[in-house]
Formats: sequence, structure tokens, C-alpha cells
Amino acid sequence: MTTLQDHPVSGGQMLPQLPVARRDSVWRRFRRASPFALIYSAAILIFYTIIFIIPFGTGIWLAFQNWDFITNPKFVGLRNFTKAFTDQYFWQALEKTILFSVVEISLGLSIALLFALALSQILGKWQNFYLSVYYLPVITPLVVSIYLWRWLYRPTGGAFNTLLSSVGLPEQPFLASPQQALWAITLVVIWAHLGTGIVLFLAGINDVPESLFEAARLDGAGFWQSFYRITLPLIRPVLVYQMVVSVIGTVQMFEAFFLIPGPGFSTRTLALYTYELGFRALNLGYGAAVSLIIFVMLLGATVFQLRRWKIEWEH
Amino acid sequence: MATTADSRPLPTPISPFRRWLITGKWTRAVVFLILAFFSFAMFYPFIWLLFSSFKTGADIVSLPVTLLPKKWTLGAYLMVMDPTRANLPIAYVNSIIVTTGTVISVLITSSMGGFIFARLEFPGRDYLFYFVLSTTMVPFLTLLIPLYIVMRELNLLNSLWGVWVPSIFSSFGVFLCRQFVYGIPRELYDAAKIDGSGDFGIYRNIILPLTKPILSALAIFVFLGAFNAYLWPLVILNEEKKLTLPLIIARMANRFGGTDYQAVMAGSVLVSIPPLIVFLIFQKNFVRGIALTGLKG
Repeated sequence: MTTLQDHPVSGGQMLPQLPVARRDSVWRRFRRASPFALIYSAAILIFYTIIFIIPFGTGIWLAFQNWDFITNPKFVGLRNFTKAFTDQYFWQALEKTILFSVVEISLGLSIALLFALALSQILGKWQNFYLSVYYLPVITPLVVSIYLWRWLYRPTGGAFNTLLSSVGLPEQPFLASPQQALWAITLVVIWAHLGTGIVLFLAGINDVPESLFEAARLDGAGFWQSFYRITLPLIRPVLVYQMVVSVIGTVQMFEAFFLIPGPGFSTRTLALYTYELGFRALNLGYGAAVSLIIFVMLLGATVFQLRRWKIEWEH
Repeated sequence: MATTADSRPLPTPISPFRRWLITGKWTRAVVFLILAFFSFAMFYPFIWLLFSSFKTGADIVSLPVTLLPKKWTLGAYLMVMDPTRANLPIAYVNSIIVTTGTVISVLITSSMGGFIFARLEFPGRDYLFYFVLSTTMVPFLTLLIPLYIVMRELNLLNSLWGVWVPSIFSSFGVFLCRQFVYGIPRELYDAAKIDGSGDFGIYRNIILPLTKPILSALAIFVFLGAFNAYLWPLVILNEEKKLTLPLIIARMANRFGGTDYQAVMAGSVLVSIPPLIVFLIFQKNFVRGIALTGLKG
């Protein structure tokens, strides 16, 4: 931060002496810095150059090329991007991604909030017990959950259809139906991620000072009123944080769609599409372009959410 | 939430049941029961997983389907442990190597980074830190294809090194530890400095022991992330002997899925055990860790 102070934008009369003095002090500060810090900094810089700067640069370069891993890359200008806008598979994948993301987040976070609220009414020991049970699916490898649910979703002899027919409801095709497959997968992901939301929200609710609820009760506020007026505003930062993280997570969700293939393209999201373009169709340039579009969309969504939250927060 | 009604003196002749109704404790009992129901519903798939893994091949596909095995057998477990049929034991070793490597490297680099970025002075320190932090803005999916190309150039394809290398440092871990080190009094650092300790000595003897709470919380997140990782290992590894556990489950599902789904279930049970053990051991640290992170995550 000191380099910023050494660098006055205005105040021209200081300028002639400044370059010499500044170079001297930077050099001196480098000399004074401990080798430990400098070695670490060099290491972390090399690391992020290899796994971040070079790949990110390569990705941007690749998005303007046509490359199949074998022949030489060919520069195609913006064609990969214009292609995305006319590619019906891209739009289909985008639609599935948004549907999945919106439903997973709105439903998942609402249920998590409801559970956290209910759990906050329960005493310590049992609270921990329930929390552990709700957290189990988060700990279980997602691949395990996916194959387990695939087994339960089987149209004939699956646990869910057995349950449905035992209470007299018609059996459902679940994953075999283009209409139901996406929602069946969404349910698996909600189930798998619910615990995270519950733990975070409960920690937020438990942080709310007891005296606030006490005061609200004395003023005659009911449970829902004190939830709406006290709990919700106070855990809003946690809520927004979890929302931002969930958007980034759901858009990148891969395993569930890769390992539970719905009929046709009914469950092909952008994450799966990127993977297929890059590693199945070997259309690396187009795959890189699609993944860059995902990056821009996620960045936009994050900034939008944070800004909206800030406005509400100030208000 | 303590109910104020509890302390209010009640009219003397009243049955315990009526008191229970009046004091509003019944709402809590209802909430308790609803939670019990949902925790059972959430646990239900695991019950299927466990019981199915003890079934025989004929039993698991027979109709009508039953939860409990008709004949209990360990056949499915023997099937997946048999090296000629599934490479689960090798995958176990691979997963443990990659996960341990990742956890150890992230803990070391994060605690060092937290200390260095919070307490040590050198030119460009804050720029470097914000650069490291900003890398999280780019989703992994965007880096997937080009990172694969970089790994190919580095000759790290189809090796566990390739799985490990991108996760040596964790920007989230560095950020978390930096926040935590800011909470450690500066005087401790200054005093040790005056006593003639070098910066590495201070890190080793003062900072590392003091950051243990945040490191154990971080360790669980990193462990779960590395152990359960699917996409990156999928892209990097393809030789059967090099696969990690989540990948081998998918391979097993392709191999046994048609006729011997109980083998997939048995494999799944075995794969779920390490994360479960880690969670049970570090559960306390984990809950505390969430409170410590400040970010709640």
C-alpha cells in the first residue's frame, strides 16, 4: 500500500525527485524483506502463472482458434462466439443450466433456511444430532449419491416407485422421461447440498443476540414477525454469500449430469456441453469460447447479486 | 429461545399436560417430530445403500423389491475387493495419496501465506495477495480445457501428480489464514522478532501452533474437496490402475451396473467410509471452523 502513497498523481513539483527516491526505497525494502517471504512469493507467483495465467491466456487465445488436438490451430476470429449464438445446442444447454440453477438454489436455500429455523428451536445435543444427519449427504462423495439415487429412481423396482405404488399413486418414469429427468437430478443435488446451507444458516441464526428476540416478544411480536424483522435481516449477509457461492457451484455442476444421462439432450447443461466439446468432440476452440461465455455470465451474475445486496443493505 | 411463560407463576391446580399445552412446549415437540421425520427421509437413501450392498445378484433385481436382503451375503464386497474384477484397493491407495498430498500442501502453503500476507513487509505484497484472491473469480470450468493442455505440455497426464499440482496452493485457504493471523496480537510477532527469531522460526514456533483451529477446519474442507473430486481426475487420469475412488465407482457401475448392482453399492459403502471417519473425528473443529471463518464457509 505504501507504493500508492509514494505515487502522488497530483502535486507536480515533487515529481522530478520521485523516481530516484522511489526506486531506491523499493530496492531497499526488497533487501530488508525476509528471504522466507520472498521465496514464498516467488513460489506462489510461479504456481499461479502455471495453473492460472497461462491457462487463462491459452483459453482466451484458443477461443479464437479452431483446433482438434491433431492438426495445427487455425485462427478463425470471432467465429466461435458467433457460432454459439446460432447454435441451438448451446441455447438448449443454457436453458437447462438456468432452469437447474434457479430451481436448485431457490428451493434448496428455502428448505435449508426452514430447517435451520426449526433446528434453532431445538436444544443443543439434539441440534447437533440432526445437523450431523442432514450433513451426511454433503460428506458422501457425490458420485456415490448419484449412483445410489439412480438405483432408487429405476422405473421398475426402484424404491420411489415402490413407495408411490404402495400408497396408490401412479408410477413415474423419472430419469427415463425428458420432462422429469432434469427435476429428478435437481432433487439429487438439492439433497446432496442441503446440509451446507443448513449449517451456515443455523450458525447465522445462533449468532443473533437472544436479547433481540426477547425485546421483540415483549413488544408482542409473534414468531414469524420476529423471523421476518430480526432473523432475516441479520442473516442476510450469510444468505447472499451462500447464494453467490451456489450460483457458481450449480452452473459448474458436472458429475450429476455426466453420470445421470437424461434422454436426448434434456439434461445437457453448459458444464457438460463444455466437457463434451473439449474432450469428446475435440472442438477445443469452440469449447474454450463456450467456457469463456460461462465465465462472463457468472461474473455478471455475481456482481449483480452483490450490488443488489449492497443496495438493500444500505436501505 | 427461552420462553418467558416458563417463569410465570401458574394457578396451582393444573395437570402437567395442560401446563405443557399452555407453556407452548408442544410447538417445540411438533418441530422436533417434523425434524425427526425429515432426518429419516434424508437418511432413507443410505439405508437402501447399506442393505442393498449385502444382497445377492438375484436378490437385488427380484420383484417385488424389498429393503432387507433375503439372504445376507458379503459377496458384493468380496467382488469389489477382488483385483481381477475391480481395482478398488489400488484406487484406495491412489485416493489416499492424492488427498493426503493435497491436504498437507494446502495446509502448509495456506498457513505460510496467511502469515506472510498479514505480517511481513515486502514490496508488492498487497498486489500479490489481491491477485491470488482474484483467481477465484474465474470458474474452474473456464480453465478446464486450457489447463488440460498445460498439463499435457508438462507431461503430467495420466499421473497422480497431474491431479495434485493444480491444488498445491488454495487461494481460499490463504485468504482464510490471513484473516485468522490478523486476529493474533502483533505484539507476539514483535516480541519474537526482538528476541532474535527469524521469520521462518516465528512461523514455525508461534504462528503455526496458533492457527491450528482454522487449519483443522480448512483440512476438512480440503479433504472432502480432494477426496470427492471427479471432473479434474476424470480429465487427467485414464489408465485403470491410476484412477481415484470416485472414478472407479463410475467404472464399476459400467461394469457391474447391469446385473450386479449390489457390487456398485458395496463399492459405494467402502468409498464413503473415509470421509465419514474424517467428519466424525473432526466434527467439533468443523462446526467451530464455520464460526471462525467469519465468512461462514
